[in-house]
This record gives sequence, structure tokens and C-alpha cells, in this order.
Amino acid sequence: MRGFGELEAVVMHRVWEHDSPVTVRELFDELRRERAIAYTTVMSTMDNLHRKGWLDRVKEGKAYRYAATASREEYSARLMREALVGGGDTEAVLNHFVAQMEGDESEVLRAVVERLAREPEELR
Amino acid sequence: MIAALVVFGYAVLVAWLLPAVLTPLTESGSGARLGIAVWLTGMTSVLVSAGVAVALLIRSAVTGWSRFAEALCRSVAGTSCTPVVYRSALYELGLAAAALIATVAGLMLTWRYGRRVQQARRSTRAHAEAARITGRPDTSAMGVVVLDTTQPAAYCVPGRPGTIVVTSGALAVLAPRQLGAVLAHERAHLSGRHHLLTGLTRCLAAVFPPVPMFRQGSSEVSRLAEMSADDAAARRAGRRPLIEALLAIGTGAAIAGEPGVGERGAREPGVGEPGAGEPGLALAVAGYAVAARVHRLLDPPRRARRVRLALVLTSVLAVLPVVSGLVFALAAAA
Repeated sequence: MRGFGELEAVVMHRVWEHDSPVTVRELFDELRRERAIAYTTVMSTMDNLHRKGWLDRVKEGKAYRYAATASREEYSARLMREALVGGGDTEAVLNHFVAQMEGDESEVLRAVVERLAREPEELR
Repeated sequence: MIAALVVFGYAVLVAWLLPAVLTPLTESGSGARLGIAVWLTGMTSVLVSAGVAVALLIRSAVTGWSRFAEALCRSVAGTSCTPVVYRSALYELGLAAAALIATVAGLMLTWRYGRRVQQARRSTRAHAEAARITGRPDTSAMGVVVLDTTQPAAYCVPGRPGTIVVTSGALAVLAPRQLGAVLAHERAHLSGRHHLLTGLTRCLAAVFPPVPMFRQGSSEVSRLAEMSADDAAARRAGRRPLIEALLAIGTGAAIAGEPGVGERGAREPGVGEPGAGEPGLALAVAGYAVAARVHRLLDPPRRARRVRLALVLTSVLAVLPVVSGLVFALAAAA
């Protein structure tokens, strides 16, 4: 399953690199140059991504043209929102390195930075 | 009936009074893992006590049912329907109703809890998948996903395999050793399976909102899990890089003048007013999650205090199940 998930990432990045919608054939031709891969694998991966809402597709002749439903930046921002604000009722379990700052906590932290600068040898 | 009430009273007592006892013991975060164990034991005690109370209530309702039938029989028979018999029948009926209501309520809460845990697991999995697809492809191999966002952040998503997400904004303010500390912290979360602790207790707090033991317990377990991961990271990557990393991500500015590892150049460190008084600082820090962690790493409690706290926490850990067991046994025998 891990390998399959990786392939989804690879396909999405290819699609994001294209300015216009792509066909399975076009993407397959690109991917084939750097890895051993079957046409049907690319097709089913793109079909999966469509089903999961990552890709939109329009019928053109007898093939589909695929485009990302949102840009990578939009997805990144969405993930950040989900990670930092939380999704309410269905909150994902994430362990943050630094929790959301409250009030003027960063002011307090700056005071600690000051202290750290004055005692450079205190800690190993 | 009395037995069920006694055990329920004990559950309420533990749920409302124990948090006030535990909070000062685990506040400093000394012996973080022991602290987590104590809070989990407290929360489990409340749950088990409530369960035992419901079981005792069902037991007295079931054993009382024959008396109810007998009373009903005699009253139908006519002459012997005295007020005593009548009242006894009503009492048994009320008991049965109470047992039924308690059972249904218990089952409903359990079901809601299970559904909530399922939902959290689903959204966690979805988040991990989305992060792996969205992140820069070249980094995902090491179990680290880099998201292109200016906001400095780092977190881990549990799963098989676990994923650590670091934003490019975080890379921009972290020096290599500081990044090492961040990754060590997140790896400690993943290998310590902290998501189980924080996830399960957070769902508990969400399903039973007004119970202090669950509400405080869940936030304390999360806080102590951070501190436990800090301890692991400090051992692995050093205390100073960890403190610097906390400050860098916390304030969004590079610390100690080392260049960032990301492609965006490091910003100037945000320097506050010089000469902030130390005692005041310690107090101010106590109110904040991140600042408290930094303070704890800067000024760890003295050894004598650490030992004392560990002893007290260990005794709570040993005594609480014994006391609970005694209460159950005495109540059931009564």
C-alpha cells in the first residue's frame, strides 16, 4: 500500500507541474522514462485520485483529461488550517512540536531568547 | 441499591476531587511519564467505578425482581395489599427503571466514544495521506514530509508508517542541529505511541464534557506527552538545540544566528526589551504551554524535588487501584 500511496504523490506532482489538463497517456509517457511502470497502473492511480477528489476529469474523445482540483499551495494551506485549528468533531490526532500560541506568549518567549543570549555557556 | 450509590459516590468523588490533588504534582512536568501513568490511572478509576456502580444497580434490580413479583402476586391475591407491600413493589419497579436508564446511558456513552475514536482515526489517516501527496516528493522517503507554507510548524501524524510534517517556514528558521531536535521530538511521539494516549483521552473529554477528571486529565496527558518527548529529544539532540528550536518555531524567528536549513534565508531574531527580570519571567512562563516547556528545560527542578515528586506519584499510582478495589469489595459485600 505504501508504494501505491507514493505513486499517487508522484502522479499529483506531475499533474501540478502541467499548466493544462493531461491524459493518462501523456503522464505515462513521462513516467515511463524514469521508472518501470505499466499504463494500467498509471490509469488506475489517476482514477483513484479522481475518486478521492484530487483530480477533475473531462472526457475528450475516448480518453479523459485530468486536472488537479486545487493547486499544491491550496492543499498545503488547507492542511495547515486543519493541523493548527483542528476540524472540530472529527479532529485528527496530531502531535505538534509547538502548540498554538496563546495571547502574548511569544513576548514571554522573546524574554527567554534574551536570557539564552546572555548565558550562552549555561547549557551543553 | 446502597452499594451502587456508594460506588457511584466514590466515582464522583474521584472525578471531582482527584484532579485538584494531581494537578500540583504533575505541574512541573518532572517525571513526565510517571505523571501520564497517574492521570491515566485516575481516569480509568472513574470509568471503572462508574461501570461497577451500574453493575451493582443492575444486580440489585435483578435480585429485587423476585420480591417485586411476590408483592405483585400478593396484592392481586387481594387481602394482603397493605401499604408496605405496595411501597415495596413501587420501590422495586423504580429500581428496575433506574438500572435500565443507567445501562442505556452507559451504552450510549460507550457507543458515542467508540464512534468518536473511529472518526478521529479516519481523519488522522486522511490527513496523513493528504500530507504525503501534497508534500515535496523528494523528502517523503525518510518519513518526513515538507509542506510549502511560510508558517513555521512541525507535527507528526500517527499511522503505519508514521509521518512527520515540517513546513518550509519551519526549515527557514531552524539550524540543522535544531531541526535534529525537532525530528527527535516527533520521533519520540511516534515511537512512544503518544497519539493513543492523547487521542483516547481527548475523545473521553469530548464525550463526557463536564467531568473535571476527563477534561483536566486529557489536557494534562497531552502536556506531559510533549514534555516526555522533550526529554527524549534533549537526550538525543541536546538541550540547547531543543530550546532554540522551541523558541525559533514559537516566535517564528531564527535563534542564535545560525542560518536556516531551508532555501528561504533566516530572518533576524526577534529581540525583546533587554533586561527582563528572571523571577518575573519564571512566573510569566508558567501560564503558557510552550514557555513552560522552555522554562522546564532551562531550569529543571532540583534533584531532591524530583525524587520527592516521583515518590508521591508512585504512591498515588499504587494506592488508587487498591482503594478503588476496597470500595468495590466493601460495597458489593454490604
